[in-house]
This record gives sequence, C-alpha cells and structure tokens, in this order.
Amino acid sequence: MIQKKYAIQIDDLTVAYNYKPVLWDIDLLIPEGVLMAVVGPNGAGKSTLIKAILGIIKPIAGSVKIFGKPYKKQVNKVAYVPQKGSVDWDFPTTSLDVVMMGTYGSLGWIKRPGSKEKKQALEALEKVGMLEFKNRQISQLSGGQQQRIFLARALVQNASIYLMDEPFQGVDATTEKAIINILKELRKAGKTLVVVHHDLQTVPEYFDWVTFLNVKGIASGQVKEIFNDNNLTKTYGINYKVAINK
Amino acid sequence: MDLIDFFTNYTLRTITLGTAILGAICGMLGSFAVLRKQSLLGDAISHASLPGIALAFIITGVKDPNLILLGALISGLIGTFWIKGITKRTRLKSDTALGLILSLFFGLGILLLTFIQKMPNANQAGLDKYLFGQAATLVEQDVLIMASVTGVSLIVLLLFWKEFKLLLFDPDYTKTLGFNTRFLDILITFFIVLAIVLGLQTVGVILMSAMLLAPAAAARQWTNNLSTMIILASIFGALSGIFGTAISATQNNLSTGPVIVLIAASFVLISFAFSPSRGLIFREMRFRKNRKELHLKKTLTFMYRIAQNHDNISHPHAIRILNNFQGFTKKSLLKLENQELISLSGKQWALTKKGYEEAASINKKLGKSDD
Amino acid sequence: MTSAQLEIQIIAALVAMACAIPGTFLVLRKMAMISDAISHSILPGLVLGFFITNDLNSPFLILLAAITGVVTVVLVEFIQKTGLVKEDTAIGLVFPALFSIGVILIAKNANDVHLDIDAVLLGELAFAPFDRLEVNAIDIGPKSLWVIGTILLTTISLLLLFFKELKLSTFDKGLATTLGFSPLLLHYGLMTVSSITVVGAFDAVGAILVVALIIAPAATAYLLTDSLKKMLLISCFLGVFSAISGYWMANFLDASIAGSMTTMLGIIFLIVYLFAPKRGVFSVIYKEKHQRIEVSLLVFLLHLQNHVEIEERHVDHLQKHINWGKVKSKTILDLAQKNNLIKLSGNIVNLTEKGTEFTEEALRYITTNKETAIEDLKAKFFLFRG
Repeated sequence: MIQKKYAIQIDDLTVAYNYKPVLWDIDLLIPEGVLMAVVGPNGAGKSTLIKAILGIIKPIAGSVKIFGKPYKKQVNKVAYVPQKGSVDWDFPTTSLDVVMMGTYGSLGWIKRPGSKEKKQALEALEKVGMLEFKNRQISQLSGGQQQRIFLARALVQNASIYLMDEPFQGVDATTEKAIINILKELRKAGKTLVVVHHDLQTVPEYFDWVTFLNVKGIASGQVKEIFNDNNLTKTYGINYKVAINK
Repeated sequence: MDLIDFFTNYTLRTITLGTAILGAICGMLGSFAVLRKQSLLGDAISHASLPGIALAFIITGVKDPNLILLGALISGLIGTFWIKGITKRTRLKSDTALGLILSLFFGLGILLLTFIQKMPNANQAGLDKYLFGQAATLVEQDVLIMASVTGVSLIVLLLFWKEFKLLLFDPDYTKTLGFNTRFLDILITFFIVLAIVLGLQTVGVILMSAMLLAPAAAARQWTNNLSTMIILASIFGALSGIFGTAISATQNNLSTGPVIVLIAASFVLISFAFSPSRGLIFREMRFRKNRKELHLKKTLTFMYRIAQNHDNISHPHAIRILNNFQGFTKKSLLKLENQELISLSGKQWALTKKGYEEAASINKKLGKSDD
Repeated sequence: MTSAQLEIQIIAALVAMACAIPGTFLVLRKMAMISDAISHSILPGLVLGFFITNDLNSPFLILLAAITGVVTVVLVEFIQKTGLVKEDTAIGLVFPALFSIGVILIAKNANDVHLDIDAVLLGELAFAPFDRLEVNAIDIGPKSLWVIGTILLTTISLLLLFFKELKLSTFDKGLATTLGFSPLLLHYGLMTVSSITVVGAFDAVGAILVVALIIAPAATAYLLTDSLKKMLLISCFLGVFSAISGYWMANFLDASIAGSMTTMLGIIFLIVYLFAPKRGVFSVIYKEKHQRIEVSLLVFLLHLQNHVEIEERHVDHLQKHINWGKVKSKTILDLAQKNNLIKLSGNIVNLTEKGTEFTEEALRYITTNKETAIEDLKAKFFLFRG
C-alpha cells in the first residue's frame, strides 16, 4: 500500500483522565502545507490534541507520527505556540530573551546561543513587528504583544510544522491581522500549520483546511468542502449558531 | 569582643567567610525556588532534615559534621519526595503536604533529640545548635565544604544556564524542544536541598527557608533580568551572612540564625519600599501624579464644555462658575496656566488655543472609552 | 497513674481537639501553611506579653499574641496584594522575620525572663500540672487546663453556631457571598480562632509541633472521608488518640511529650497514606491500573465498532497503531474475550452481540460525559470481575 506522506499522522489516539475521555479514538491525517484550524466547543480536547502531538501529555492508546517518525525523533521539525496564559509573564526577562529561547532546541544541551541565534531572533521580532520592544520586560507588554512574542519564538525554531494553541485569544484586531498574515506567509513557504481556533466566522477567510473535534474526531478536510452546517451541527449541537454567537 | 577583634581574629575571618559563601549560594539557588513558586518547599525541607541529623548521631554515636550533613541530606530528600508523592497520589493539596512533612518530620526530630539528651554520650552531641544555628562553631573544614559545593553548583548552573532559564519560564515548551525536564527538575531540587543542608549549622533548621527566600525576593525588585537577579541575590545573601555573623558575634547569647534572617528581611523591606520600578513608594508617587493629571484633564474638559458654547474660544469666564465643579483648586488653575493651556487675569479665566485643542482631543478620547 | 499524669493527658487531649477543629477548615481551604506562619509569628507578641504579665497563661498575653497572629495574616495578605512577590513567598518572608524578632527578644532578656527557647519549641507539657489555678485558696486544677478548656469550648460553640456558614464558604465561596454570608468575616473569624488556639496550645506543645496538631489530623481524616462532619469527628479522635498514645511513648522513651505526640500523628498519617481504603497510595495505584485497563478495553471495543476494514481489526493492529505493548495487548484481548465481548476468527477480531450492545451504551456515556454512568454500565454487563 502506497501512502501519501503526511506532515502529521494520528492513529487511534485516545487520552483519558480517569474515566473521562478527553480525546477518543482520533484518526487524523494532516497533509503537508495546509493552514488548518482545529475547531470545537469548550472541553472538546483541542488543546489536549496539540499537547498529545507534542508528547506533553501521554495518551492511553494510539500513536502520533511526524513525517512518518515519532515526535521524539523530529523535535526540530515542530514549533509550538502555547496558550498565552500558560506562563508567568512576571518572569524577569525581556522580549528578545524569550524569542531567543526558540533557538535552544536546535542548539541542544549546554551549547549557548551566539550572534547567529541573536540575529535570527531579531529577524523574527521584526517580522512580528516587535523589534522596537526587544528590550522590554515581558510583563510590560500588552496581551497582543505577548502573543506576537510567542509567535516570534516559534518562528526562530525554523520548523516545518507549527502547532498553535489559540493564538488569537485576547489580542487586538491589528495583531490578529498581523498574525494571520504571517501564518499565510508560512503556508506559502510550504509549512504546515495547525491552529486551535475559536472564532468560527473567520475560519473560511483565514484557513484552507479544518478539523472538527468534539472528544471524537468529526470531520477533517478542505474548508470549502466540509465547512458546512452539517458538520457544525455535529460538532456544536443543533443550536450551534446560538453557541457561536455567545 | 569588639569590632576590631572581628577583623583581625582568624577564627572570625573563617566564620565570616563561611557565612558569606553560604549567603551567596542561598541567594543563587533561592532565586530558582522563588521563581518556580516553591518558596515554602525550602521551609519544609529544612525542617525535614532534623530527624536525619539526630539519626546520624544515634547510628554512628559520634558527632562528625560530615556524617550529620549526610543524614540531613538524606532525610531532607526523603521529605521532598514524600511531599511530591502526597500531592501526586492523594487529594491533599501542596500546602497541606508541605505543612505535614514540615511538622511531622520536625516532631520526630525533636523526639530523637530529646532521646539523645538522655543518652550517656549526650554531652558530646551538641545538636541543639542545628535548631537556630551557631556560626561560631564553623571551622575551616566546614568552610571548605561550603566553598566546594558552591563551586560545583555554580559550574552546574553555568553549564545548564540556558536549560534552567527555559524550564523556569515555560516547562511545557522546554519539553517540546526535546529537553529532559525531569532530569533538570531533579538537578535543581537536589542543589536546593544541598544548600539548605549546608546552612543548617549556621542558620538553623527553623529559619533556613528565609535565607533562601529573602535575598531572592529582594533582588527581584531591582531588576528584570534573570542573571542580574541571581547575582544581586547572591550579594544580598552574602551581605546578610556577613553582617549577621558580625552582629551576633559581638553580642552574647545570640544565635546567628535570627540575626541573619532579620538582616535579610531588612533588605526585603528596603527593596519593597525603594525599588525605582516596582517599589511601593515610587508606585504611590506615580499613582498620585497620574491622579493629579487626571484632575487637571477633568478641569480642562469642563472648561472646554463651557467654552464650546461661545464663538470665541478664548472668551474669558469668571472663575466663580467653576465652583460647581469638584476637581478644581487655585493650584490646579495655576498649573494649567503654567502649561499655557489657559490664561488667567484677575477673577477670569480663558482657554488658550493650545488648551482648546488639548481639551478637544481629551474629550474625543473620553467619548471613545465611554462607548 | 498519678493525678499529674492524668492531668497531662487531659490537657494534651484537649489541645489536640482544639487544634483539630480549625485545622479541618484550614486544610479544606488550602490554607494549611498559614497555621505555620501564625505559630511562628506569634512569638514576639508572646514574649512582649510575657514581659508585661510574667504569666504564660494570662488572658492578656493570649490576647496580645493572638492579635500578632491576625496581624501576620493581614501582613501576608498585604504583601500578596502588592504583587511584588508570588503568593507563597509572602508567607515565607513574614513569619521567619517575626519569629527571629521573638527569639532575639528572648535571648537579649534571658536573665530577666524565665522563658527559654526550648519551651518555645517544645512546650512544657510535663510541667503543666505544677502551675495551679486557685480560687479563694482552693486548688481547682492546672491553669493550662482551664485555658485550653475555655478555648476549646469557645471553638466548639462557634463551630456549632456557624457550621452552615463555614461549610458553605469553604466549599462554595461564590454561593456564600450571594446568600449574604460575608466570606471575609468568616475568614478573619477563622484566623482569629486559629491564632487563639495556637497561642493556647503553644504553652503545651510549642511553636512548630502545634502545626502538626493542626494539619496532620485533618489531612489524615481527609483521606478517610468525604463528609465534613465525619472529617471533624475523625480528626478530633485522631488528635486525642495520638495525644494519649504519644504521652505513653514519651514516658517509655523518656523523651519530649510533644515530639512523641507528633511522631504518633506521623505514624498514623503514614499508615493511612499508604493503606486508606479509597484514597491511600496502594488503592490509588491499584485503581489507576484497573482504570487504565478498563479504559483501554473501551477504547479497543469502540475502535472495533468504528472500523469495518479488516486491517483495522487485525490482532497485530493493536500493537502497531494503537501502540500498545505485547503484554498490554494480550491483557486487553483476554479480558474482552473472557467477558464475551469479542470473537476471534483467525487473527481478525469481531464484536459479539453483547460487545456491540455494550459499545453502543458506552458511546452514549462518552457523548453525555457523565462520569457515574460508567459504573452502572460496568454493573449491567458484569464486567471486569475477572
């Protein structure tokens, strides 16, 4: 059997907390070069899916392959943008420092970042429009700016796959535009992007691929083919329009 | 003993060097504890080391400081891992786990200590000093051990600097980059326990945690840079150690621990109050200044609304009509005049052109935020 | 048993009960370490009070020290509010500083004051019977018995009066506020009671071991029951039990009574921690292991129901895609077969009728997300009974 090469291949993935299933028997194939939204109601397991792909959470069953190999062997091919609220922003460090952290993975143990890494970090800061804030203490950044810093940190990882957990949460309209432009640019460069997303209205505009998730995988495919009432109802229930507008 | 003796006396120099090194290593590793939100872990560990001290003596029957340190280290580590076990395996939260281990281990330690006192060779035990610390008992060998542990932990810190920083800021992300976070975690915990155990003889079981926290908490107020914070914390720690030893050495009947802790606490107090960027005093001053500016702005917009009703914006009005408005005082009017936003003549005021434009833009902003 | 021995045991038991009651609420409210802070920082108040009254059992001294305790709480909360340091750092900064002041005050006045450090750390339970309270020249018992008795009675009356409010504000702060109970008032009420109890118990068991009497019985009880009332009763009982057994252990070893009481508490906690029927470590590990197998079985059955393709139902698929090891795969297969949920035809796995029915029910459970439903399901299909 000849298989097409997928960026991420998820087989029978199940994550459960006690008896409470968070993800149930997920089969998901993410082709290379898509800009994909992961949508679903609260508690659907969207963040868990990202964390399971990254090996932060151990699944009870199933496997995840990155370009055909386990994550541990592909660490440098994947970049991660966690939820903004997952870290302590009062940590004593600057924007530039946080972005530099993106280079640590390819440096490996003990080796220190040098001028090459600093240059990469500055370029990434410029790309997200944060260069003038490079020496700013991170607690003094606005929510949108913090999100841009996280994006820049992922950019310097120079990966093939980007996993992002709600990058648009709590950001202003300008930042949202800026971020989506960068994401679209990345896709043009052939990168694969998986983005946990909340705002269903912007899905067709921002993304070309979508996965519906509600504990079980409901549908996954091109936005223009599967982003329809049928799948939305399956994911969010009959009153999905009410649920979205809330 | 007076202060001159203090600087010429060989024993005292040894002791001072010891407490300075101890303060430095505590400041350094304490910064990690504080940033990892494990401030109270140190308290639990230091109390948990007491039974180890007593057992080391009971088992070996001799008072060898190195064996006692080893006993303290083992019992401190057992306490640490038990705390982790309690929070992981049961429904008890971390504060309960800390309090449990702290008090139960300490109780066992006290039981053993009082038991030792009744033993025939109790006189040579002198384990009481581990409760509040007695720097005077430090000898050259102790200082050498402290110095070498500090050296080793400094090397480890420099070697894994990048990894530690990453782990402190974002543990999940550290994992995704392929670093073994469990290894780093155990490494950091081990050195923190080691620093605590080293300090027991000088500062004592009960107050050791403050030695870990206070320099780091003080240093955090002065800088937003991790390496600067760690260096500052080491300096604060060393100074607390030196001054604390000096003061307690010149007084009778005073354990070193409480004195060192009080000096470290005054560093914290000063930092909380006077740090330029975070300190409470400057924060209050900034707050007041902002409030004053807000008052001026309010007065100005009030004037603007009056002036709007006239064709000539600089038409003079009686100051009297401002009386209905709460925010204004003579002083605030003068201030506005200084900024050339209004002009005063006798009992009349008038908006200047600059003042009118300023008020218009404030008004616009206010209108926006009202929506 | 002499009457002095009896009196010591009664005092120890009363102290243990007086500590266990506020302790239960502190543990449930995740504020256990506050008791550590209070017990240390009342020392300067205690010493100052002692300078003035020269009597550790004087009501004035108890009041002064208790105020210091409440001040500590306020100070900690003030520092937390400034946001200058993380929350628990505030606790860790305040109490060592205050405790140090107390220790230095004692040391500097050692010649004038009959209050030594050992008494501060260990209490003087053994000497308690010698300090008698006399009314009209009639001996009515040891002073500390009266002190701790009064504190305990007050605590119990407050507990009975405000039980409903305390329970509500502990488990559901939001609801308590909307119902008009002031959580703030209850919070400071609890802090005051804790402070007074700590001061009263201080004399008997010392600064640090009073923390053990507050936290350990409540924490142990919390591993044994879910009901607040039972938790209060169990922690009181454990406190009293360790007080009395601790006393006899101290007697036997000729060691500190307070240290022995704490060690008894420690032994009890260790036993409960390991062997408690539902929440002990062993039963948790056992339960987790079972749960993993059961959930795995569910995963497997659902997988079978999901896929009609032959290759998805091949025995080898378990190892390759579901990513289970050989042993685990075999365990799950055996379990499913034993329960008559699957049939093997060659190496292809098929659901039986019972298996299909079970899977459909399980699916319903997953979509409704009710955690209790799985228990009914297990009972209905007589599953997992080996």
